[in-house]
Amino acid sequence: MKKMLSTLCVVATMAFGAVAAYAQNSGGTLSFLVQPEPPTLASYVSTSGPIGLVMPKVYEGLFDYANDGSMVPILAESYDMSADGKTVTFKLRKGVKWHDGKPFTSADVQFTIMEVLKKVHPRGPNSFREVEEILTPDAHTAVFKLKKPAPYMMRSFSAYESPIVPKHLLEGQDVKAAPLANKPVGTGPFKFVEWKKGQYIRLDKNENYWQEGLPYLDRIVGRFIPDASTRTAAMENGEVLYAAYNAIPNIDAVRLKDRDDIDVTTKGYSMINPMALIEFNTKEGAFVDPAIRRAISTAIDRRFMIDTIFFGYGKPATSALSSNFSATNLHAAMPNYPEKGDKDAANAILDKAGFKKDANGVRMKAVLDIIPYGEDWRRAGEYLKQAMGDIGIELELRYEDVPTWLKRVYHNYDFEMNVNYFYQLPDPVLGVHRHYGTDQIRKGTHFVNSSRYSNPKLDALLDSGAGEPDAAKRTAKYKEIQQILAEDMPVVNLFELEFLVVYNTKLKGVYDSAMGAYGSFREGYLD
Amino acid sequence: MPRSSKIFRYVSKRLLQGIPIIIAIIVINFFLLNLAEGDAVDVLAGEAGSATPEYMEQLRKKFGLDQPLPVQLAVYLKNVLVLDLGYSFRHEMAVQDLIFDRFAATALLMTSTIILAVGFGILLGLMAAMRLNTWKDAVITVFALITYATPLFWVGLMMIVVFSLYLGWFPTSGMENVAAFYEGWDRVVDIAHHLVLPTITLSLFYLALYTRMMRASMLEQYGQDYVVTARAKGLTERRITFVHVLRNALLPVVTMAGVQVGALIGGSVIVESVFAWPGLGMLAFESLFARDLNLLLGIFLLSSILVVVVNLVVDIIYCFLDPRIDVE
Repeated sequence: MKKMLSTLCVVATMAFGAVAAYAQNSGGTLSFLVQPEPPTLASYVSTSGPIGLVMPKVYEGLFDYANDGSMVPILAESYDMSADGKTVTFKLRKGVKWHDGKPFTSADVQFTIMEVLKKVHPRGPNSFREVEEILTPDAHTAVFKLKKPAPYMMRSFSAYESPIVPKHLLEGQDVKAAPLANKPVGTGPFKFVEWKKGQYIRLDKNENYWQEGLPYLDRIVGRFIPDASTRTAAMENGEVLYAAYNAIPNIDAVRLKDRDDIDVTTKGYSMINPMALIEFNTKEGAFVDPAIRRAISTAIDRRFMIDTIFFGYGKPATSALSSNFSATNLHAAMPNYPEKGDKDAANAILDKAGFKKDANGVRMKAVLDIIPYGEDWRRAGEYLKQAMGDIGIELELRYEDVPTWLKRVYHNYDFEMNVNYFYQLPDPVLGVHRHYGTDQIRKGTHFVNSSRYSNPKLDALLDSGAGEPDAAKRTAKYKEIQQILAEDMPVVNLFELEFLVVYNTKLKGVYDSAMGAYGSFREGYLD
Repeated sequence: MPRSSKIFRYVSKRLLQGIPIIIAIIVINFFLLNLAEGDAVDVLAGEAGSATPEYMEQLRKKFGLDQPLPVQLAVYLKNVLVLDLGYSFRHEMAVQDLIFDRFAATALLMTSTIILAVGFGILLGLMAAMRLNTWKDAVITVFALITYATPLFWVGLMMIVVFSLYLGWFPTSGMENVAAFYEGWDRVVDIAHHLVLPTITLSLFYLALYTRMMRASMLEQYGQDYVVTARAKGLTERRITFVHVLRNALLPVVTMAGVQVGALIGGSVIVESVFAWPGLGMLAFESLFARDLNLLLGIFLLSSILVVVVNLVVDIIYCFLDPRIDVE
């Protein structure tokens, strides 16, 4: 048996020690921005961003994750993994009650994972795919039996990724249609009170929270303000104190951060790990030849895009994997990813591959689709049009609304080149595999392998890399994966996005979780 | 026949005529909306990051989107007949409840805007016409031109900058103070406080329209023969203006106001967005992008009913303003 209890205890002491170290003010209301308004509050059915901003305050996960990546025990006090990695035993916290007064037990964990997350959650079937059954020898022990070791699973127990939901309110019902969706009952530090459509969601302090003395805040209100300039004004006016996921655009954030009462941080996104990229249609159209895709990656000035369009917030991509995976030694820098862009080298690649320029200097024409998530992406498209023009690829830009765009790219495959961003999540198995595996060519499913790239050698590596319990061997496998992808480039990564949190310095205690805005805010307080 | 029973017969006839119009609007809207690529399931699944095709198929089945279009339309029409506007799968709520919830906010903004715009528009137009070609007339005309030509969102943002950020008189946005959650009269005052900036912003645009219209209409009436007759009779200018000219000049303004009540439901999207006012315009706007067709059809239905009713009311107001106009 490989004991992990001791490390966990240290982490626990550190986390709770930190709580005791300050003198916090109790009370007060925190208004923060939720943008856009969420469609529902069923975080166990949808991972949609705005739901993630609200629900982790109400539902809790087994663990939280600190900024350094360490696990903070929440509903689980500790876990213990067997030597073969196929049995994971969780000791659950005692004395935890649901907001309706019923006790929280191991049956809730079993039901949540097996009946809810594995069945209806968008990413749950992937995170928990090796979980065969969960045994509940007593009310506070849950034993996960796995088919194969799944080291990545341990990164997906946060309240955002895997919220634990009450069995007694879902059992025997259609989970997706249950009334719990908009009347959530959790174990978290805040209780759901009211959702005024078009205005706000109100959460009040859970007086019976399992940890004595928490939370500090009396109330959290998530406000919806559709107009970006008004959101900025509300922040300036102190009407809202916290805004994440670029609810305040970078262009305003860089101005606000000069104020004494407002600050900006890029922390709190490492578990989300967003990567800007270009997907190519590898089956038909202009970009079937991998040489062109390598040339495009070589020509792009990633530094320019970050500095000019995203106000310096971002890191140039250096491989198919984000450099945030360095924490688990999975990231390796690859060729074909110049920071500044090298147009001569790109032209040389195209010349060598036999794509000749015509009298106007044009080698080929294509359409570039742009993710319809705002002006920044439009500008990124405009830059790409110009940069590609320099190497003889004439692009036409296309910007549609969300449903039309999703249908085009992930259903009809009616695109050639698509600017997009993906969450790489805390482990490549969760966030990156879906982009490249042959089994991830799933017509009609969004944010998977739309390039229709298929390479049996890569598939085998992805498969064995996923369950490899030995860290050094896993590193080697992922290095090989990244080498193949740097050669074939079905997707060209542009840069690691750094989203911002813009906050009023009055608000303290909510910046230590790696989940950031998707955290519980249980230690948040107003100074 | 006495006038009241004549009006009653007229109203019932017009309301009956309204029914086929509204049904036609529903049918046309239904097919128009279904021309858009992608459906509610695509959007929901897209927002969720990823979803299995089986899950999406299941959702389509649940929403009734797997049925052929004519069947969907028939089901919808049947439901409307029993006053059931359907279910918004995006909001997991009945469409009636959603619309009702937001209609109060819209009605509040709409009423205050109409009162302010029509009231001040008539007043300013009247003043300009009475002081024709003086500096007062010039100031009012230039003011009307500028407010008419300025984009609404810009006016809204400038209002926020000046009155919220610099002067601190009004909140930037929203309908209520969410940190306080007032009750009773405090709440009424709080909502009124939040209502000021959006109302002024939205009114400015319409105000300009009514001012110019009122001015032109007054001038036109001043040139009519009956004004000459009245003067010859020795009536005072005051009486001529307020009793004879004003009444006739109001007719086009009332017509315009009637047309705009319908437009205000959807037309306030920009103001609702800038001030985060939780009205129907924003709801309609969002549901279009979410392909929440049930909700959108419900909103369209409501606004078409409103247009039919308001037009009727305008026609009745006519016959009170001008006894020569009779209902038949």
